[in-house]
Amino acid sequence: MSLQTCWRCIARASCQPCPTRRPPQQLCTLYPASTAAFTTSPSLSALPPKKKAKSPMVEVNVKGAKKTFTKKKKKLQKVDRGKKPAVGERKALRKRVVLSNTNALEVEGLKDITAQSMIDDSLRGHVLAIPGPVVDQLRAVEAFKVTQGWPLFRRPSMLIRKDTLDMATEIENISLGIGDKTIRRVFVGERGSGKTTMLLQAMTMAFLKDWVVINIPQAQDLILAQTEYGPLPSTTPTLYTQRTYTASLLNAISRANPILQTLQLSQPPAENEIPIPVPPNISLSRLALLGAEDPEIAWPIFELLYRELTLPDRPPLLLCMDGLAHAMRNTHYISNTYQPIHAHQFTIIKWFLDHLSGTSPLPNAGLVLASTSESNSPVVPALKLALGQLEGNSAVRKDPFAKYDERVLGVFEGGGVEVKRMGGLSKEEARGLMEYWALSGVVRQRVDDGFVGEKWCLSGGGCVGELERAVVRMRV
Amino acid sequence: MVFILGNNFSEQRLVLKTLQGFYGIGPQISRHLLARLHIHPTARLSSLNSQTVLDINAELASMKIENDLRRELRENITRLRDMGTYRGRRHAMGMPVRGQRTRTQTATASKFNRVERLG
Repeated sequence: MSLQTCWRCIARASCQPCPTRRPPQQLCTLYPASTAAFTTSPSLSALPPKKKAKSPMVEVNVKGAKKTFTKKKKKLQKVDRGKKPAVGERKALRKRVVLSNTNALEVEGLKDITAQSMIDDSLRGHVLAIPGPVVDQLRAVEAFKVTQGWPLFRRPSMLIRKDTLDMATEIENISLGIGDKTIRRVFVGERGSGKTTMLLQAMTMAFLKDWVVINIPQAQDLILAQTEYGPLPSTTPTLYTQRTYTASLLNAISRANPILQTLQLSQPPAENEIPIPVPPNISLSRLALLGAEDPEIAWPIFELLYRELTLPDRPPLLLCMDGLAHAMRNTHYISNTYQPIHAHQFTIIKWFLDHLSGTSPLPNAGLVLASTSESNSPVVPALKLALGQLEGNSAVRKDPFAKYDERVLGVFEGGGVEVKRMGGLSKEEARGLMEYWALSGVVRQRVDDGFVGEKWCLSGGGCVGELERAVVRMRV
Repeated sequence: MVFILGNNFSEQRLVLKTLQGFYGIGPQISRHLLARLHIHPTARLSSLNSQTVLDINAELASMKIENDLRRELRENITRLRDMGTYRGRRHAMGMPVRGQRTRTQTATASKFNRVERLG
Protein backbone atom coordinates (compact mmCIF):
# COMPACT_ATOMS: atom_id res chain seq x y z
CA MET A 1 0.00 0.00 0.00
CA SER A 2 1.45 3.32 -0.97
CA LEU A 3 1.17 6.62 0.91
CA GLN A 4 -1.11 9.29 -0.44
CA THR A 5 1.41 12.04 0.00
CA CYS A 6 4.94 12.24 -1.14
CA TRP A 7 7.62 11.82 1.61
CA ARG A 8 9.44 14.86 0.43
CA CYS A 9 6.40 17.02 0.85
CA ILE A 10 5.67 15.94 4.33
CA ALA A 11 7.39 18.97 5.80
CA ARG A 12 5.23 21.40 3.87
CA ALA A 13 1.80 22.57 4.66
CA SER A 14 -0.60 19.78 4.38
CA CYS A 15 -2.86 21.83 2.20
CA GLN A 16 -0.09 22.52 -0.25
CA PRO A 17 0.12 19.96 -2.88
CA CYS A 18 3.40 18.64 -3.99
CA PRO A 19 5.26 21.38 -5.92
CA THR A 20 7.15 19.00 -7.98
CA ARG A 21 4.16 17.62 -9.65
CA ARG A 22 1.85 20.57 -10.09
CA PRO A 23 2.31 24.21 -10.85
CA PRO A 24 1.93 26.45 -7.78
CA GLN A 25 -1.57 27.48 -7.00
CA GLN A 26 -3.11 30.05 -4.72
CA LEU A 27 -2.70 29.29 -1.12
CA CYS A 28 -5.76 28.16 0.57
CA THR A 29 -4.72 29.45 4.01
CA LEU A 30 -5.80 32.76 5.46
CA TYR A 31 -2.42 33.45 6.94
CA PRO A 32 0.79 32.09 5.67
CA ALA A 33 2.53 29.76 8.03
CA SER A 34 5.55 31.29 9.58
CA THR A 35 6.99 28.04 10.69
CA ALA A 36 7.06 24.69 9.21
CA ALA A 37 4.06 22.90 10.62
CA PHE A 38 4.41 19.32 11.41
CA THR A 39 0.74 18.96 11.38
CA THR A 40 -1.86 18.64 8.77
CA SER A 41 -4.12 21.33 10.32
CA PRO A 42 -3.61 24.90 9.00
CA SER A 43 -1.70 27.16 11.35
CA LEU A 44 -3.72 29.71 13.29
CA SER A 45 -0.99 31.68 14.92
CA ALA A 46 -1.11 35.32 15.94
CA LEU A 47 -0.51 38.13 13.54
CA PRO A 48 3.13 38.64 12.72
CA PRO A 49 4.70 41.62 14.42
CA LYS A 50 4.57 44.80 12.43
CA LYS A 51 7.83 45.99 11.10
CA LYS A 52 8.89 49.17 12.78
CA ALA A 53 9.12 51.99 10.40
CA LYS A 54 12.33 53.37 11.74
CA SER A 55 14.90 51.74 13.85
CA PRO A 56 16.57 54.24 16.11
CA MET A 57 19.82 52.33 16.00
CA VAL A 58 20.18 52.60 12.27
CA GLU A 59 19.22 55.97 11.10
CA VAL A 60 19.30 58.31 14.07
CA ASN A 61 22.74 59.33 15.06
CA VAL A 62 23.07 57.85 18.50
CA LYS A 63 26.14 58.49 20.48
CA GLY A 64 28.43 55.51 20.18
CA ALA A 65 26.87 54.25 16.98
CA LYS A 66 29.44 53.77 14.29
CA LYS A 67 29.14 56.17 11.49
CA THR A 68 31.93 57.03 9.10
CA PHE A 69 30.77 60.46 8.20
CA THR A 70 28.78 62.67 10.45
CA LYS A 71 27.46 65.88 9.20
CA LYS A 72 28.92 68.78 11.05
CA LYS A 73 26.62 71.45 12.19
CA LYS A 74 27.40 74.79 10.76
CA LYS A 75 28.52 77.19 13.40
CA LEU A 76 26.56 80.33 13.58
CA GLN A 77 28.83 83.01 12.30
CA LYS A 78 29.03 85.98 14.58
CA VAL A 79 28.68 89.15 12.64
CA ASP A 80 30.75 91.94 14.11
CA ARG A 81 28.75 95.06 13.60
CA GLY A 82 30.96 97.28 15.79
CA LYS A 83 33.05 99.99 14.25
CA LYS A 84 36.67 98.95 14.08
CA PRO A 85 39.29 101.37 15.38
CA ALA A 86 41.31 103.23 12.81
CA VAL A 87 44.95 102.45 12.15
CA GLY A 88 47.04 103.62 15.09
CA GLU A 89 44.03 104.59 17.19
CA ARG A 90 44.52 101.91 19.83
CA LYS A 91 48.22 102.66 20.12
CA ALA A 92 47.49 106.35 20.48
CA LEU A 93 45.05 105.55 23.26
CA ARG A 94 47.60 103.33 24.96
CA LYS A 95 50.36 105.93 24.78
CA ARG A 96 48.16 108.89 25.66
CA VAL A 97 49.39 110.92 28.60
CA VAL A 98 46.58 112.58 30.52
CA LEU A 99 47.80 115.44 32.65
CA SER A 100 44.59 117.00 33.84
CA ASN A 101 41.42 115.75 35.46
CA THR A 102 38.52 118.13 35.71
CA ASN A 103 36.85 115.94 38.31
CA ALA A 104 39.72 116.46 40.71
CA LEU A 105 39.42 119.33 43.15
CA GLU A 106 41.47 122.40 42.56
CA VAL A 107 43.94 122.76 45.40
CA GLU A 108 43.63 126.08 47.13
CA GLY A 109 46.86 127.98 47.53
CA LEU A 110 48.92 125.69 45.30
CA LYS A 111 52.01 127.61 44.29
CA ASP A 112 53.95 127.24 41.06
CA ILE A 113 57.57 126.29 41.15
CA THR A 114 59.82 129.08 39.93
CA ALA A 115 63.50 129.48 39.24
CA GLN A 116 63.82 131.42 42.47
CA SER A 117 61.71 129.29 44.77
CA MET A 118 63.11 125.94 43.76
CA ILE A 119 66.08 126.24 46.09
CA ASP A 120 64.00 127.41 49.03
CA ASP A 121 64.64 124.99 51.89
CA SER A 122 61.41 125.96 53.63
CA LEU A 123 59.44 124.39 50.79
CA ARG A 124 60.65 120.93 51.66
CA GLY A 125 57.68 118.62 52.03
CA HIS A 126 55.45 120.95 50.02
CA VAL A 127 53.86 120.20 46.71
CA LEU A 128 54.37 122.76 43.99
CA ALA A 129 52.64 122.91 40.64
CA ILE A 130 54.57 122.84 37.38
CA PRO A 131 53.92 126.01 35.35
CA GLY A 132 51.95 125.59 32.14
CA PRO A 133 54.70 126.40 29.62
CA VAL A 134 57.05 124.00 31.37
CA VAL A 135 54.38 121.30 31.23
CA ASP A 136 54.32 121.73 27.46
CA GLN A 137 58.08 121.49 27.31
CA LEU A 138 58.11 118.38 29.49
CA ARG A 139 55.45 116.84 27.32
CA ALA A 140 57.53 117.57 24.25
CA VAL A 141 60.53 115.68 25.65
CA GLU A 142 58.24 112.85 26.82
CA ALA A 143 59.14 113.29 30.47
CA PHE A 144 55.66 112.23 31.61
CA LYS A 145 55.00 108.50 31.60
CA VAL A 146 51.68 106.79 31.05
CA THR A 147 52.00 104.72 34.21
CA GLN A 148 52.41 107.69 36.51
CA GLY A 149 49.48 109.09 38.46
CA TRP A 150 49.02 112.38 36.61
CA PRO A 151 45.39 111.72 35.57
CA LEU A 152 44.29 111.83 39.20
CA PHE A 153 44.89 115.53 39.69
CA ARG A 154 43.80 118.86 38.31
CA ARG A 155 47.26 119.90 37.16
CA PRO A 156 50.75 118.34 37.25
CA SER A 157 52.49 119.05 40.52
CA MET A 158 55.54 117.70 42.25
CA LEU A 159 56.70 117.12 45.77
CA ILE A 160 59.80 118.97 46.90
CA ARG A 161 61.77 116.30 48.71
CA LYS A 162 65.29 116.43 49.99
CA ASP A 163 66.79 115.00 46.79
CA THR A 164 64.89 117.61 44.78
CA LEU A 165 66.35 120.42 46.83
CA ASP A 166 69.84 118.95 46.47
CA MET A 167 69.39 118.75 42.74
CA ALA A 168 68.01 122.30 42.64
CA THR A 169 71.05 123.57 44.51
CA GLU A 170 73.35 121.83 42.07
CA ILE A 171 71.51 123.26 39.09
CA GLU A 172 71.65 126.68 40.65
CA ASN A 173 75.38 126.36 41.34
CA ILE A 174 76.12 125.16 37.82
CA SER A 175 74.11 128.06 36.42
CA LEU A 176 76.10 130.47 38.57
CA GLY A 177 79.38 128.76 37.74
CA ILE A 178 80.08 127.58 41.28
CA GLY A 179 81.32 124.12 42.15
CA ASP A 180 81.47 121.16 39.80
CA LYS A 181 81.03 121.97 36.16
CA THR A 182 79.52 118.69 35.16
CA ILE A 183 77.72 116.19 37.34
CA ARG A 184 77.26 112.68 36.01
CA ARG A 185 74.82 110.59 37.98
CA VAL A 186 72.87 107.34 37.84
CA PHE A 187 69.72 106.96 39.91
CA VAL A 188 69.12 103.55 41.41
CA GLY A 189 66.55 102.39 43.92
CA GLU A 190 63.54 100.26 44.54
CA ARG A 191 60.58 100.07 42.25
CA GLY A 192 58.43 103.16 42.70
CA SER A 193 61.08 105.06 44.64
CA GLY A 194 60.92 108.06 42.30
CA LYS A 195 63.88 107.62 39.94
CA THR A 196 62.00 108.61 36.79
CA THR A 197 60.22 111.40 38.64
CA MET A 198 63.60 112.67 39.75
CA LEU A 199 64.59 112.98 36.09
CA LEU A 200 61.36 114.87 35.50
CA GLN A 201 62.08 117.22 38.38
CA ALA A 202 65.60 117.84 37.08
CA MET A 203 64.17 118.62 33.64
CA THR A 204 61.59 120.96 35.14
CA MET A 205 64.24 122.92 36.98
CA ALA A 206 66.53 122.95 33.95
CA PHE A 207 63.73 124.38 31.82
CA LEU A 208 63.09 127.02 34.47
CA LYS A 209 66.76 127.94 34.34
CA ASP A 210 66.76 128.13 30.53
CA TRP A 211 69.02 125.18 30.01
CA VAL A 212 68.90 123.02 26.92
CA VAL A 213 67.40 119.63 27.70
CA ILE A 214 67.95 116.53 25.61
CA ASN A 215 65.99 113.56 26.90
CA ILE A 216 65.94 109.95 25.78
CA PRO A 217 62.68 108.89 27.40
CA GLN A 218 63.20 105.15 27.18
CA ALA A 219 66.44 103.46 26.11
CA GLN A 220 64.47 100.37 25.20
CA ASP A 221 63.05 102.17 22.16
CA LEU A 222 66.56 102.33 20.76
CA ILE A 223 67.36 98.64 20.95
CA LEU A 224 64.10 96.88 20.09
CA ALA A 225 64.80 96.88 16.34
CA GLN A 226 61.66 98.82 15.58
CA THR A 227 63.19 101.92 14.06
CA GLU A 228 65.32 102.22 10.98
CA TYR A 229 69.07 101.77 11.23
CA GLY A 230 72.03 101.97 8.97
CA PRO A 231 75.83 101.84 9.20
CA LEU A 232 77.82 105.02 9.52
CA PRO A 233 80.51 105.02 6.80
CA SER A 234 84.20 104.77 7.71
CA THR A 235 83.83 103.78 11.36
CA THR A 236 85.65 100.92 13.08
CA PRO A 237 84.02 99.11 14.77
CA THR A 238 81.00 99.97 12.67
CA LEU A 239 78.67 102.48 14.24
CA TYR A 240 75.01 102.55 13.33
CA THR A 241 72.69 105.52 13.09
CA GLN A 242 68.95 105.48 13.69
CA ARG A 243 67.70 108.12 11.34
CA THR A 244 64.00 108.10 12.19
CA TYR A 245 64.62 108.14 15.92
CA THR A 246 67.21 110.89 15.54
CA ALA A 247 64.74 112.93 13.52
CA SER A 248 62.07 112.60 16.21
CA LEU A 249 64.66 113.47 18.86
CA LEU A 250 65.57 116.61 16.94
CA ASN A 251 61.91 117.47 16.69
CA ALA A 252 61.52 117.09 20.46
CA ILE A 253 64.63 119.19 21.11
CA SER A 254 63.37 121.93 18.85
CA ARG A 255 59.89 122.03 20.36
CA ALA A 256 60.95 121.71 23.97
CA ASN A 257 63.72 124.29 24.02
CA PRO A 258 62.46 127.72 22.99
CA ILE A 259 65.84 129.12 23.92
CA LEU A 260 67.21 127.57 20.73
CA GLN A 261 65.27 130.16 18.75
CA THR A 262 67.51 132.86 20.20
CA LEU A 263 70.72 131.01 19.41
CA GLN A 264 72.17 131.15 15.93
CA LEU A 265 74.55 129.04 13.92
CA SER A 266 78.01 130.46 14.59
CA GLN A 267 79.59 129.54 11.26
CA PRO A 268 78.33 127.81 8.13
CA PRO A 269 79.03 124.08 8.11
CA ALA A 270 81.64 122.57 5.82
CA GLU A 271 80.36 121.47 2.44
CA ASN A 272 80.90 117.78 2.98
CA GLU A 273 79.34 117.86 6.45
CA ILE A 274 75.71 118.53 5.60
CA PRO A 275 74.32 117.39 2.26
CA ILE A 276 71.91 120.32 2.01
CA PRO A 277 72.69 124.03 1.93
CA VAL A 278 72.12 125.65 5.31
CA PRO A 279 71.41 129.38 5.37
CA PRO A 280 73.85 131.40 7.46
CA ASN A 281 72.64 132.73 10.83
CA ILE A 282 69.89 130.13 10.93
CA SER A 283 68.52 129.65 14.44
CA LEU A 284 69.40 126.39 16.12
CA SER A 285 65.72 125.62 16.54
CA ARG A 286 65.20 125.88 12.79
CA LEU A 287 68.33 123.81 12.21
CA ALA A 288 66.95 121.04 14.40
CA LEU A 289 63.67 121.15 12.50
CA LEU A 290 65.56 120.75 9.23
CA GLY A 291 66.90 117.48 10.56
CA ALA A 292 63.51 116.48 11.90
CA GLU A 293 61.94 116.91 8.49
CA ASP A 294 64.45 114.80 6.62
CA PRO A 295 65.58 111.64 8.43
CA GLU A 296 68.35 111.07 5.87
CA ILE A 297 70.29 114.06 7.22
CA ALA A 298 69.12 113.78 10.83
CA TRP A 299 72.37 112.46 12.26
CA PRO A 300 74.71 115.02 10.60
CA ILE A 301 72.34 117.77 11.75
CA PHE A 302 72.32 116.37 15.27
CA GLU A 303 76.13 116.37 15.34
CA LEU A 304 76.22 119.93 14.04
CA LEU A 305 73.61 121.05 16.56
CA TYR A 306 75.48 119.46 19.42
CA ARG A 307 78.74 121.06 18.32
CA GLU A 308 77.01 124.42 18.26
CA LEU A 309 75.60 123.84 21.74
CA THR A 310 79.05 123.14 23.15
CA LEU A 311 80.55 126.38 21.87
CA PRO A 312 81.45 129.02 24.47
CA ASP A 313 78.65 131.22 25.83
CA ARG A 314 75.97 128.64 25.20
CA PRO A 315 73.56 127.57 27.96
CA PRO A 316 74.31 124.50 30.10
CA LEU A 317 73.01 121.13 28.96
CA LEU A 318 70.90 118.53 30.70
CA LEU A 319 71.11 115.05 29.20
CA CYS A 320 68.75 112.37 30.50
CA MET A 321 68.14 108.73 29.77
CA ASP A 322 65.65 106.38 31.39
CA GLY A 323 65.97 102.59 31.44
CA LEU A 324 69.77 102.56 31.39
CA ALA A 325 70.14 98.76 31.53
CA HIS A 326 68.64 98.41 28.07
CA ALA A 327 71.51 100.46 26.68
CA MET A 328 74.04 98.05 28.12
CA ARG A 329 73.49 94.87 26.13
CA ASN A 330 73.15 93.40 22.69
CA THR A 331 70.29 94.88 20.76
CA HIS A 332 67.70 93.13 18.62
CA TYR A 333 69.30 94.67 15.55
CA ILE A 334 71.40 92.37 13.36
CA SER A 335 74.53 93.29 11.45
CA ASN A 336 75.12 92.40 7.82
CA THR A 337 77.14 89.39 8.97
CA TYR A 338 74.11 88.24 10.94
CA GLN A 339 75.55 88.99 14.35
CA PRO A 340 73.67 90.94 17.05
CA ILE A 341 74.79 94.55 17.32
CA HIS A 342 75.78 95.85 20.73
CA ALA A 343 73.90 98.87 22.02
CA HIS A 344 77.13 100.84 22.32
CA GLN A 345 77.52 100.71 18.54
CA PHE A 346 74.50 102.92 18.08
CA THR A 347 75.41 106.57 17.74
CA ILE A 348 72.78 108.06 20.04
CA ILE A 349 73.49 105.62 22.86
CA LYS A 350 77.23 106.01 22.38
CA TRP A 351 76.89 109.77 22.40
CA PHE A 352 75.00 109.68 25.69
CA LEU A 353 77.28 107.12 27.34
CA ASP A 354 80.37 109.09 26.30
CA HIS A 355 78.98 111.96 28.33
CA LEU A 356 78.02 109.72 31.22
CA SER A 357 81.47 108.19 31.37
CA GLY A 358 83.17 111.54 30.97
CA THR A 359 84.88 110.70 27.67
CA SER A 360 83.13 113.71 26.13
CA PRO A 361 83.08 116.58 28.59
CA LEU A 362 80.42 119.26 28.57
CA PRO A 363 82.35 122.50 28.03
CA ASN A 364 79.46 124.68 29.20
CA ALA A 365 78.81 122.52 32.23
CA GLY A 366 75.61 120.68 32.84
CA LEU A 367 74.10 117.49 34.15
CA VAL A 368 74.16 113.99 32.73
CA LEU A 369 71.48 111.90 34.43
CA ALA A 370 70.51 108.31 33.86
CA SER A 371 67.99 106.20 35.64
CA THR A 372 67.68 102.47 36.02
CA SER A 373 64.38 100.68 36.20
CA GLU A 374 63.25 97.89 38.46
CA SER A 375 60.10 96.93 36.63
CA ASN A 376 61.40 96.85 33.07
CA SER A 377 65.03 95.93 33.15
CA PRO A 378 67.10 93.19 31.55
CA VAL A 379 69.69 91.39 33.65
CA VAL A 380 73.08 92.95 32.99
CA PRO A 381 75.63 91.56 35.48
CA ALA A 382 78.30 94.08 34.50
CA LEU A 383 76.01 97.04 35.15
CA LYS A 384 74.92 95.61 38.47
CA LEU A 385 78.52 95.09 39.50
CA ALA A 386 79.67 98.52 38.38
CA LEU A 387 76.79 100.37 40.04
CA GLY A 388 77.17 98.33 43.24
CA GLN A 389 80.86 99.09 43.45
CA LEU A 390 80.36 102.79 42.73
CA GLU A 391 77.70 102.91 45.39
CA GLY A 392 80.18 101.50 47.87
CA ASN A 393 78.26 98.31 48.47
CA SER A 394 80.85 95.89 49.82
CA ALA A 395 78.51 92.96 49.33
CA VAL A 396 78.80 93.30 45.56
CA ARG A 397 81.80 91.31 44.39
CA LYS A 398 82.91 90.02 41.07
CA ASP A 399 81.59 86.54 40.46
CA PRO A 400 84.44 84.46 38.95
CA PHE A 401 81.98 82.41 36.92
CA ALA A 402 79.84 85.22 35.56
CA LYS A 403 80.51 86.88 32.22
CA TYR A 404 80.95 90.62 32.42
CA ASP A 405 80.67 92.86 29.42
CA GLU A 406 83.92 94.81 29.17
CA ARG A 407 82.24 97.62 27.26
CA VAL A 408 79.78 98.15 30.10
CA LEU A 409 82.50 98.09 32.73
CA GLY A 410 84.47 100.54 30.58
CA VAL A 411 81.73 103.16 30.89
CA PHE A 412 82.20 103.34 34.65
CA GLU A 413 85.96 102.73 34.76
CA GLY A 414 87.01 106.32 34.36
CA GLY A 415 85.33 107.31 37.61
CA GLY A 416 83.35 110.42 38.25
CA VAL A 417 79.98 108.74 37.90
CA GLU A 418 77.91 109.11 41.03
CA VAL A 419 75.36 106.51 41.97
CA LYS A 420 72.44 107.97 43.85
CA ARG A 421 70.12 105.60 45.64
CA MET A 422 66.61 106.94 45.93
CA GLY A 423 65.30 106.13 49.38
CA GLY A 424 61.94 106.64 50.99
CA LEU A 425 60.31 109.91 51.92
CA SER A 426 60.61 111.25 55.43
CA LYS A 427 57.41 111.36 57.44
CA GLU A 428 57.14 115.12 56.99
CA GLU A 429 57.45 114.80 53.24
CA ALA A 430 54.91 111.97 53.22
CA ARG A 431 52.54 114.11 55.23
CA GLY A 432 52.87 117.03 52.83
CA LEU A 433 52.13 114.73 49.92
CA MET A 434 49.12 113.18 51.65
CA GLU A 435 47.71 116.58 52.50
CA TYR A 436 47.96 117.49 48.84
CA TRP A 437 46.14 114.27 47.95
CA ALA A 438 43.46 115.06 50.52
CA LEU A 439 43.01 118.58 49.12
CA SER A 440 42.74 117.11 45.61
CA GLY A 441 39.93 114.90 46.81
CA VAL A 442 41.56 111.51 46.29
CA VAL A 443 41.99 110.86 50.02
CA ARG A 444 38.88 111.06 52.20
CA GLN A 445 40.43 110.21 55.54
CA ARG A 446 41.72 112.73 58.00
CA VAL A 447 45.44 113.18 57.53
CA ASP A 448 46.85 113.04 61.02
CA ASP A 449 49.95 111.54 62.59
CA GLY A 450 48.37 108.13 63.04
CA PHE A 451 47.23 107.89 59.42
CA VAL A 452 50.53 109.16 58.07
CA GLY A 453 52.55 106.79 60.27
CA GLU A 454 50.44 103.81 59.28
CA LYS A 455 50.70 104.45 55.56
CA TRP A 456 54.37 105.37 55.82
CA CYS A 457 55.04 101.96 57.39
CA LEU A 458 52.81 100.20 54.87
CA SER A 459 54.80 101.69 52.03
CA GLY A 460 58.05 100.22 53.29
CA GLY A 461 59.43 103.38 54.88
CA GLY A 462 58.03 106.01 52.55
CA CYS A 463 58.67 104.50 49.13
CA VAL A 464 56.61 107.03 47.21
CA GLY A 465 55.18 104.68 44.62
CA GLU A 466 54.05 102.26 47.29
CA LEU A 467 52.65 105.16 49.28
CA GLU A 468 50.50 106.14 46.33
CA ARG A 469 49.33 102.56 45.95
CA ALA A 470 48.48 102.28 49.62
CA VAL A 471 46.71 105.61 49.97
CA VAL A 472 45.32 106.67 46.60
CA ARG A 473 44.85 103.60 44.47
CA MET A 474 43.89 100.97 47.03
CA ARG A 475 40.24 101.06 48.05
CA VAL A 476 39.34 98.77 50.90
CA MET B 1 52.70 100.21 -4.54
CA VAL B 2 56.25 98.90 -4.49
CA PHE B 3 57.67 97.00 -7.42
CA ILE B 4 59.79 94.00 -6.45
CA LEU B 5 60.96 91.41 -8.96
CA GLY B 6 58.14 92.07 -11.38
CA ASN B 7 55.39 92.13 -8.77
CA ASN B 8 53.51 95.00 -7.22
CA PHE B 9 53.02 94.97 -3.48
CA SER B 10 50.96 97.14 -1.18
CA GLU B 11 52.99 99.58 0.89
CA GLN B 12 51.38 98.39 4.09
CA ARG B 13 53.03 94.98 3.86
CA LEU B 14 55.94 93.94 6.05
CA VAL B 15 59.16 93.58 4.11
CA LEU B 16 59.97 90.35 5.94
CA LYS B 17 56.70 88.71 4.90
CA THR B 18 56.75 90.10 1.39
CA LEU B 19 60.07 88.45 0.62
CA GLN B 20 58.76 85.16 1.96
CA GLY B 21 56.13 85.25 -0.76
CA PHE B 22 58.75 84.34 -3.37
CA TYR B 23 59.29 80.64 -4.04
CA GLY B 24 62.59 79.66 -2.45
CA ILE B 25 62.66 82.28 0.30
CA GLY B 26 61.63 81.24 3.78
CA PRO B 27 61.84 82.92 7.17
CA GLN B 28 65.57 82.33 7.59
CA ILE B 29 66.68 83.57 4.19
CA SER B 30 64.34 86.52 4.44
CA ARG B 31 65.81 87.50 7.79
CA HIS B 32 69.38 87.18 6.48
CA LEU B 33 68.48 89.28 3.47
CA LEU B 34 67.07 92.04 5.67
CA ALA B 35 70.15 91.97 7.89
CA ARG B 36 72.41 92.30 4.88
CA LEU B 37 70.54 95.37 3.71
CA HIS B 38 70.13 96.89 7.21
CA ILE B 39 66.36 96.75 7.25
CA HIS B 40 64.77 96.16 10.63
CA PRO B 41 62.35 93.24 10.95
CA THR B 42 59.24 95.34 11.54
CA ALA B 43 59.83 97.59 8.53
CA ARG B 44 57.02 98.05 6.05
CA LEU B 45 57.44 98.56 2.35
CA SER B 46 56.37 102.18 2.72
CA SER B 47 59.43 102.95 4.84
CA LEU B 48 61.92 101.81 2.19
CA ASN B 49 63.59 104.42 0.05
CA SER B 50 64.06 103.83 -3.64
CA GLN B 51 67.71 102.84 -3.27
CA THR B 52 66.83 100.11 -0.79
CA VAL B 53 64.14 98.76 -3.12
CA LEU B 54 66.75 98.63 -5.89
CA ASP B 55 69.13 96.81 -3.55
CA ILE B 56 66.45 94.26 -2.71
CA ASN B 57 65.77 93.72 -6.40
CA ALA B 58 69.49 93.28 -7.07
CA GLU B 59 69.84 90.76 -4.25
CA LEU B 60 66.82 88.79 -5.43
CA ALA B 61 68.07 88.82 -9.01
CA SER B 62 71.29 87.16 -7.95
CA MET B 63 69.48 84.37 -6.10
CA LYS B 64 68.09 81.15 -7.52
CA ILE B 65 64.41 81.60 -6.72
CA GLU B 66 61.02 81.30 -8.37
CA ASN B 67 61.15 79.72 -11.89
CA ASP B 68 64.87 79.00 -11.84
CA LEU B 69 64.49 77.02 -8.67
CA ARG B 70 61.42 75.23 -9.96
CA ARG B 71 63.29 74.30 -13.13
CA GLU B 72 66.19 72.94 -11.16
CA LEU B 73 63.81 70.79 -9.16
CA ARG B 74 62.23 69.41 -12.31
CA GLU B 75 65.61 68.77 -13.86
CA ASN B 76 66.68 66.79 -10.84
CA ILE B 77 63.63 64.57 -11.10
CA THR B 78 64.01 64.15 -14.86
CA ARG B 79 67.63 63.18 -14.41
CA LEU B 80 66.68 60.47 -11.96
CA ARG B 81 64.06 59.14 -14.33
CA ASP B 82 66.32 59.22 -17.36
CA MET B 83 68.99 57.29 -15.50
CA GLY B 84 66.36 54.69 -14.78
CA THR B 85 66.80 54.81 -11.04
CA TYR B 86 64.26 53.48 -8.60
CA ARG B 87 63.58 56.99 -7.32
CA GLY B 88 63.03 58.23 -10.84
CA ARG B 89 60.55 55.46 -11.52
CA ARG B 90 58.69 56.14 -8.33
CA HIS B 91 58.44 59.81 -9.24
CA ALA B 92 57.10 58.86 -12.65
CA MET B 93 54.53 56.57 -11.08
CA GLY B 94 53.49 59.13 -8.50
CA MET B 95 54.31 56.78 -5.67
CA PRO B 96 56.26 57.41 -2.47
CA VAL B 97 59.98 57.62 -3.15
CA ARG B 98 61.58 56.99 0.19
CA GLY B 99 60.24 53.64 1.28
CA GLN B 100 56.97 54.75 2.78
CA ARG B 101 54.08 52.30 2.85
CA THR B 102 51.74 52.32 -0.10
CA ARG B 103 48.87 50.35 1.35
CA THR B 104 47.21 53.52 2.53
CA GLN B 105 47.92 57.22 2.65
CA THR B 106 49.80 58.03 -0.51
CA ALA B 107 47.87 61.18 -1.24
CA THR B 108 50.82 63.46 -0.70
CA ALA B 109 53.03 61.37 -2.94
CA SER B 110 50.48 61.23 -5.72
CA LYS B 111 50.04 64.97 -5.41
CA PHE B 112 53.68 65.92 -5.57
CA ASN B 113 55.65 63.08 -7.12
CA ARG B 114 55.45 63.58 -10.78
CA VAL B 115 58.07 64.27 -13.37
CA GLU B 116 56.69 67.68 -14.32
CA ARG B 117 56.45 68.81 -10.75
CA LEU B 118 55.29 72.38 -10.32
CA GLY B 119 57.31 73.16 -7.24
